[in-house]
Amino acid sequence: MFDWLEFMLTEAIVALRRNPLMTFAAITTTAVSLFLIGGLGYVYLTIDNYAKTIPSKFEMRVFLKDSYRGEAAVNPIAGKLRAVPDVAKVTWIPRDKYWALIKEQDPDLTAGIEDPYPESFKLQVKDLAQSDAVAAAIRNMPEVEPEGGVSYLKDEQTFIERALFFIRWLGGVFGGLLFLTGGILIYNAIRLTVLSRRIEIRIMRLVGASPVTIRVPFLIEGVVQGTLGGVLAATAVLGANNFVCGFLRVIAPQTVFPIFPLEQTMLLLSGIGAIYGLLCSMIAVRTPLRGQ
Amino acid sequence: MSDSPIQPYIRYENSQVKYSDLVQGLRGVSLDIARGEFLFFIGSTGAGKSTLLKLLTREVRESAGEVTLDGVNLSRMSDREIPLLRRRMGIVPQDFALLPRKRVWENVAYAMRAVGATRRQVRRRVPDILEMVNIGHRADAFPHQLSGGEQQRVAIARALINDPPLLLADEPTGNLDPQHSWEIMEILLRLNAHGATVLVASHDLVVVERTAKRVVTLDQGQIKSDIPPWIPTETPTDIASTNGDTDEPTPGSSDV
Repeated sequence: MFDWLEFMLTEAIVALRRNPLMTFAAITTTAVSLFLIGGLGYVYLTIDNYAKTIPSKFEMRVFLKDSYRGEAAVNPIAGKLRAVPDVAKVTWIPRDKYWALIKEQDPDLTAGIEDPYPESFKLQVKDLAQSDAVAAAIRNMPEVEPEGGVSYLKDEQTFIERALFFIRWLGGVFGGLLFLTGGILIYNAIRLTVLSRRIEIRIMRLVGASPVTIRVPFLIEGVVQGTLGGVLAATAVLGANNFVCGFLRVIAPQTVFPIFPLEQTMLLLSGIGAIYGLLCSMIAVRTPLRGQ
Repeated sequence: MSDSPIQPYIRYENSQVKYSDLVQGLRGVSLDIARGEFLFFIGSTGAGKSTLLKLLTREVRESAGEVTLDGVNLSRMSDREIPLLRRRMGIVPQDFALLPRKRVWENVAYAMRAVGATRRQVRRRVPDILEMVNIGHRADAFPHQLSGGEQQRVAIARALINDPPLLLADEPTGNLDPQHSWEIMEILLRLNAHGATVLVASHDLVVVERTAKRVVTLDQGQIKSDIPPWIPTETPTDIASTNGDTDEPTPGSSDV
């Protein structure tokens, strides 16, 4: 068994060395595609997690009409706000306390001015993507000031949403196309190897080698190409993760990022690469090695 | 075709091979070959010589009829069984099919490893096999450093790795001069003398006559004549100059 395995591996190495440029192209394309699909997927999750951990940054302020003042008037409105879908938290900001805070922060500017603020609430939403819907629902409430009654950081929220959409799109479409291209390159590399090793294949058939013995070296070649592509992709993901985390640390210094799971990512991507390489090579050898 | 009650080693029964609507390889060949026999298939190009050999190796399947080898009906053989069948025969292709980047011994060793031999078995067997075909002294040479006859001997050596009781050679002397052709034929005769059944597809009528073994002549996919072994003349006639495309061979008309 050991002798057989050694023979298979030797044959696979010979096959890999037979078309070095095609092998290189197949490995790098698989790496880029896995990076875009798997790697950007990881970056997407990182940003998504970040977005989930900072809803307070995108808190919503709701201002009531002047006619609603005092705890007795505010409490039922707070209940109505909590009932709005996707609202996570509602905090009442009493107008007098808020005005006192403003006066404390800027006594010169507020000197001699009467409290201009209405009663207001601070809201946090469960899902940033639902902010517009939540704001629209609240604006329709009769107790809420119709002009400027709801304010929130719409632009920043839209930026995050767009960034996530772009990454999702880039990873899905572009990565998918490259993944397909990588597969075609692996397929072509194997087909070229089959062509360049036709004498070996013929000899094996003449002397009665089993189909498994004839095919396995080509399958190993595909697996090696896919695995190496996966390892390269994992390394690239590590780099991309460090870059993204560095950027997010600048805009959100207090955010704590988890340590990049290099081993798991490497295992996952090289595993996907190996399976993909195996599938591509199986398809590649199906026709040329058909028959006896 | 014999009517012997003893089961022949190889039997073609009305074997037909149709490559396409226009090309027919065999048109109903029936032939019995006994164990240990040495037989030539001769005939012009496209007569069906190679097809008869390929029916045995299962590189070609018959459109009709049956082929039996050692009591096994090859027509009913599945693809999975073919590798095991081929381990029971040695196949010498016309073009040698040697690996140019491997040395002589490596060419034989490669074939052995492909059928599961261990390194130890290879080390033990390869020198013996090379000696059997008188090529041991060139074991470290690369194919391009060998003459045509030597390359053919390596191809025969490779065919012997499984100790086959049946040897099939397709034009083994096709690219060789008369001297080298006879050297190859002597090796095949020696293997036959040791018990192997040898089937040779050939154009080389000089060698065929000198060997004086059974000759089956094919023409357009049918057997034209089947001449049993005879006592050879002392020296080969100059029949080779008539080239191998002669439809009717003359060995049977030699002195018997």
